[in-house]
Parts: sequence; C-alpha cells; structure tokens
Amino acid sequence: MKPDINIALLNAAQEIINRFSPLIEDEYEKSRLGSWGALILISALKFNDASSSLKKENHDIIEWLKEHSTISMKEFDKFKILDDKTIDQYDQDNQSLREMLDKQFETIQEEGDKILLKEGIDLMRSMHQRRKVSDLIGMLQQQEG
Amino acid sequence: MSQDLSSAFLAYYSEFQKKDFSLISFERIFGGASRETYKIIVNDNSDNEERLVLRLSQDSSLIETEQKTEYLAYSAFQESNVPVPILIDMSEENSKLGAPFMLMRELKGEAASPFTPNIYAPHEVDLGKQFWSILGEIAKKEIDKDIFRDFIGEVEQPFWKNELDKWVKIIHEDSIGIEPILEAGIRHLYRNPPKESETISMVHGDYRSGNFLYSENKITGILDWEMAHLGDPLEDLGWALSPIWSWQDKDRPAYLLKREDALKIWEETSNISINKDDLNWWELFAAVKGMAIWISAGNEFKSGTNIDPINLFSAWIPGDIHLEIILDTLEKNI
Repeated sequence: MKPDINIALLNAAQEIINRFSPLIEDEYEKSRLGSWGALILISALKFNDASSSLKKENHDIIEWLKEHSTISMKEFDKFKILDDKTIDQYDQDNQSLREMLDKQFETIQEEGDKILLKEGIDLMRSMHQRRKVSDLIGMLQQQEG
Repeated sequence: MSQDLSSAFLAYYSEFQKKDFSLISFERIFGGASRETYKIIVNDNSDNEERLVLRLSQDSSLIETEQKTEYLAYSAFQESNVPVPILIDMSEENSKLGAPFMLMRELKGEAASPFTPNIYAPHEVDLGKQFWSILGEIAKKEIDKDIFRDFIGEVEQPFWKNELDKWVKIIHEDSIGIEPILEAGIRHLYRNPPKESETISMVHGDYRSGNFLYSENKITGILDWEMAHLGDPLEDLGWALSPIWSWQDKDRPAYLLKREDALKIWEETSNISINKDDLNWWELFAAVKGMAIWISAGNEFKSGTNIDPINLFSAWIPGDIHLEIILDTLEKNI
C-alpha cells in the first residue's frame, strides 16, 4: 500500500517549515515560504474529507429543499450520488444546489417566518462547519512561532 | 527584492533630493497585499542616515485603490492627534519606479498580526485607550476644504448605500461560487438600512488591530489608509469592532479593551452619540465588506494573477470567520 496524498502533503509542509524556510535570510521570502508551509498543512488535513463533505452537503441541501420548497421531486434526480461521479461533478451539483437554496432562503426572508429562518440558518451553519478551515488558525500560529 | 527596483529608487531619490545617496538596505515587508511595501535605509554624502518606507501599487492587489487617496488621507492628519508618517513624495505614474508609489519617513514601532491573541500584553489597556480615542479623533476631524474637494467626487449619499453597493459589486464580479450565507447577509443589510449620518467624517477604511505601529505602551502611527474615503463615522467603528480582529477573545475587540469601554472612549473623543441599531448595521456591513476583500483575494489566487500566499490565506481563514459572523448576526436578528 502506498502512502496517501495527504501524508505526502503533510510531510512536504513540514519540510518547508522546518528545513527550507530557516535557510532563507530575506525576511519577506522567509515569511512567504513559511505561509506556504502552513497552507499546505491545512490542505493536507482537509484533503481526505473533501469528497465526502461535498456529498454530505449536497444531500443535506436536497433534503432541506424537499421539505421547505415547492421544487418538483424530479428536479433532484440529476443530483443523485453515483459511484462514477467525479469531485468536479459533485462540485457543479453543489453550485446548482446552493443557488436553489439561496433563492428559497430569499423567499423565507421576504416572508419573515421565524421558524423557517432558523431552520435555514441551521442548515447553512452545518454546511459552514463542515467546510471551514478557520478552526485551524491556532495551528497556523504555532507554525509562525 | 528586485535589484532593478532598488537601483531605480536610488536614482529617483538622489534626483528628488538633489544630492547623492548610497543604499544601505532595501527590504520588502511581508503581508498587506494591497501595496508592495519596502523599508529602505539610505546614507547621504555626509553619512546622515535616512529611514524611509516606500509603498508601491501592485499590478494586482486585494482591492485596487489610487495612491492619491492614501496620500490625501495622510495629508489630512499631518501634525494632528492622529499619528501618521511624514510624507515625502508621491507619484501616480509608472515612469519613475515602474508603478505609482508613495514615499514617507519610517516611524518607530512595530506592527502586530491581527490574528495573534494577547499580542499587545502587557500594554493592552494603554494601547486600547489610544486605539479607540484616535479613532474618535479621526471621526471628529474637520476635513480641510482642499482635501474635501479632492474627495468629494466620490461622495454619494446615502453613505450606507454607496458603500454597500460598491462592495456588493466586487462580490458579484469576483465570486468563484455562490455563498448563500453572504447573499442572505447582503439582503438583510438592504432591507434594514441605518439612519443617514448627520456627520461627514474621514473614514480610514481599514482601521483595526495590525494596522498601527506601537512601541511598548504607545501607538506611534496609524497605517494603511488606502481605502480612506468620506462617509459615516460608524463605518470605521463597526470595522474595528469586528470579532474577526479578536476571534479568540471576542469580548475584547482588537485584543485590547472590553467593548463597552472602547465605545465609551470613542463617544467621548468623537463627541458623537452611538445609535446601537445603526452600529449593528455597520458591524454586519463590516463582515460583508470583509467578504468582498477575501473573495477578491481568492479570485486573484485562483486566476493566477497573484499567487502570493496571503491571497489564499485571506480567502480561507478570514473568509471563513466573516461568514460565521454573518451567520451569528442573522441568527440574532430572527
């Protein structure tokens, strides 16, 4: 079994931060390379979950729209999760679904139904929690240190 | 560092000052992707040392702004209670250094990262008092008629709509994908506008932790005025208070003083009474404006126009934080 891509990225980041960056005397170039190291580290930590997170997000938006919109069920057929779909295709589906969610939430904002507003925000928060990398800011600061 | 640039600078500066200089150092400072910033030390024939800061426009930057705007803003506060660097020269042409630039004397002090908790300890109280009172001074400053005239071309009222339209346009031009949280935040702002300000103030445009120099317990300079404009004084206050600048200690905006203490100092210095609803609007606006900046950075990075890692960092970390702030605000307003 070969090492995974995220392991390769993780090791590359450590090499950049610990071996190459200290060799550079120019402060600007040193900071710039150090930043690359930290950003590659974040990429490594998020890499494994990228595909499954996208599928989960698409699934959650579809279920929410089925419950809270008048969109025909047939409309959702094209977003089916299939084994031969690439991550780019899931990303395209995701953009279409986000657009549908945005339109539906706009209607909810106009109508001002507090329960639906809360449910929409809850969905968007779960989407954001899954995607965000800002919780890794502490790790970035450690690298800077 | 570009050898061509340092040579061009030396030739330009010698010509400008009408005497010969030798270059001691020419170093680029990391960060601040809106301008390339260089710290320069030169010596003249009599061995007098001069420490300078050169701000050079980038072909591609987070937000494209004119050097003239920044120069006018610095000019407005020379020899005032708002510490700013002494200006030496500016040029909006490419002929001298390959890009428009502004040259100023270096101020003493250091700048901190806005994302590092407790970075100002043990001087956070002293620095906090100065930070919020200087912002009050900016808000109450009567703008010189000549400077006002130079800015007036860009003043349209209501200020809130002028600013919101400007940043929403950038969002919709530069977005890589659809972000329902951000769109919901934008709609909320348009539907619940603030009252139009009775005061026209100089707005710094990026007044926050990290954009000032300090030496121990003293603020020595307010920097980065490239987004300065005339507008509602609450705009700067909303931006400076944003939880993004104290994400790991949200009760102490800018990692300095408690929020209520900060607001009290600002009100006392500016002589402006804060309307809480209006301030809430400007705080949400700050998150939307921030998103415009981070989206623009992400676009630069993705298109390959500017692959400085600061652009990727901006799109990832501050972009995530401001989205969360928008979500929190929307939820509070249900």
